[in-house]
Amino acid sequence: MNQRAFLLSALAALVLIGCSAPAGKPSGEAPKEEPFKVALLTPGPVSDAGWSAMAYEGLMAIKDELGAEVNNQEAGGTQIKDAMRSYARQGYKLIFGHGFEYNEPGMEVGKDFPDTVFVSSSGGQTATNVGAFRFYLEQGFYLAGAMAGKMSKSGVVGMVGGDDVPSIRSTFKAFRAGVLAANPNAKVQEVFTGNGQDPAKAKQATEQMIAAGADFVIHQANAAAQGVFDACKEKGAYAFGANADQNANPSGAVIASAIIVGKPAFVALAKQVKEGTFKGGIALMGMDKGAIDFVVNPAMAAKVPADVTAYVDELRKQIVDGKLTVPKDEF
Amino acid sequence: MNEFATILSYAAPVALAAIGETVVERSGVIHIGIEGGMLAGAFFAMLTTYATGSPWLGIGVGVVVGVLLALLSAVFCVTLLADQVVIGTAVNLLAIGLTRTLFALRFGASGQLLSVEKIPSMNGLDAVTIGTVILAVLVHLALTRTGWGLATRSAGEFPEATEAAGYSVAKLRYGALAFGGALAGLGGAYLSLGIAGSFADNMTAGRGFVAIAMVTFGRWKPVWALLASLLIGWVDSLQFTFQTKGWDAPFQLFVALPYLVALLVLAGVGRGANAPAALATPFRRSR
Repeated sequence: MNQRAFLLSALAALVLIGCSAPAGKPSGEAPKEEPFKVALLTPGPVSDAGWSAMAYEGLMAIKDELGAEVNNQEAGGTQIKDAMRSYARQGYKLIFGHGFEYNEPGMEVGKDFPDTVFVSSSGGQTATNVGAFRFYLEQGFYLAGAMAGKMSKSGVVGMVGGDDVPSIRSTFKAFRAGVLAANPNAKVQEVFTGNGQDPAKAKQATEQMIAAGADFVIHQANAAAQGVFDACKEKGAYAFGANADQNANPSGAVIASAIIVGKPAFVALAKQVKEGTFKGGIALMGMDKGAIDFVVNPAMAAKVPADVTAYVDELRKQIVDGKLTVPKDEF
Repeated sequence: MNEFATILSYAAPVALAAIGETVVERSGVIHIGIEGGMLAGAFFAMLTTYATGSPWLGIGVGVVVGVLLALLSAVFCVTLLADQVVIGTAVNLLAIGLTRTLFALRFGASGQLLSVEKIPSMNGLDAVTIGTVILAVLVHLALTRTGWGLATRSAGEFPEATEAAGYSVAKLRYGALAFGGALAGLGGAYLSLGIAGSFADNMTAGRGFVAIAMVTFGRWKPVWALLASLLIGWVDSLQFTFQTKGWDAPFQLFVALPYLVALLVLAGVGRGANAPAALATPFRRSR
């Protein structure tokens, strides 16, 4: 039976190795002077090549540019407050929660840790040490919609979502508005797969959308987006990239991307906290601040008619000047 | 025809795993770890193809990885008589953690949208989907018409008699687990190389568990397991069509549709199902 006990413990060890995330190491030996420590909580794995990855890259920029000590973990639901408290107790000065769902726990935990700043991506509540910044990605989606509405030959365009969360719904609303502004008779289809990590499902959904007539498809599917792009390539439709600049995707189907330029915003926020100038409040990060952009794929620019480019540029100017307010949900 | 090929293609990962799991359960072992086998198969198949450019080599590696994980389970479930559900769950956690860690190490912590060479197909049919159908029939024949099939089935019904007849229950169960692991690995590899041409963290998304349900749904018969997978796959493809219609209903309702159908069918046929009598019971050889 000795052998059996050994093998069982070996499996237990393997499972432990398997479970340990590749994230940064927890603070080990205590340094002489307290370093500036920043933590990031994400709703999903940072390897999603989308929403959570963007925040992770922001965190890495904070580490590189401000020399901060950083750590990150996935935390959702009831884990959020525990994770926040544990970071705050370890002396983290800034705890960033990447989603609206981190705003409320930040308010609650923030009362107990006045020396720690809690910031969430969107969310409506604020205190002296609690705030939010909201990326106005809807602006980019609106321009993508405008381009699709002008260029679509079938008059049918599609949106493929992964997880059903309010931030994704809000960008889809803006895309729809952009399409209908450009072509009031267009039809906008919407499909959710319920999983931003399942490229096969995303591909299947996109194929069916294209079969139903869509010739432009935008996505909010994070790591599953490759399925959307591949379906577009195989069935001859155009795709839009989202969150990150995905124009160079090997599928060659991405005509333009609606992107969040997250790094500067993350670094600026961390700088405020480090220098003690953070006052709370909710910041709206849009095109006027350079935090959102809509980039046409240079390799496919020739496929975009001049009048469409002019139309999109005019809308962009109106958005930056504040003359056009793109619809967005509050959550 | 093309429609059918599409449904077969999307259903193939679940169908393959279900055919394999049918054999495993017939031998008296329930292997929850096929979800992990599929995920590991999908990952290592993608990794191999990414490195070599050959999807066939990737498929082969996926199968081998599936076998290795199943043999790991076999050591605990068959030799050490451990609880099969606990070991299967441990294998799943191992696969999730291992693939996530290696994926992050190889492609960066923030991930990448990967596009790898896919296996070639004609009119939506390819070697794996055609093979899936043939395999279901072959496994049916092997289970019902060969000595090996009889011995394996008896190991799942009344293992004492199997031993008395001169067979080793342990060997039969090892063999069944290895076969089930190979098909789970193949199913996972086909998911990443036949359908998606990509990989994402935890991309199998519960297909292994669906496969286990399909075994029950198919009454522990491989051809029926294939048909059950096709039915669920078809309903699954319908839900996207329903969603594009823009009806004013929550999409979760459509996403749940295949599971609802499975539940209804199981409620209908579940009674008196011919489950192997010794299913999930470790066999201790008496001396």
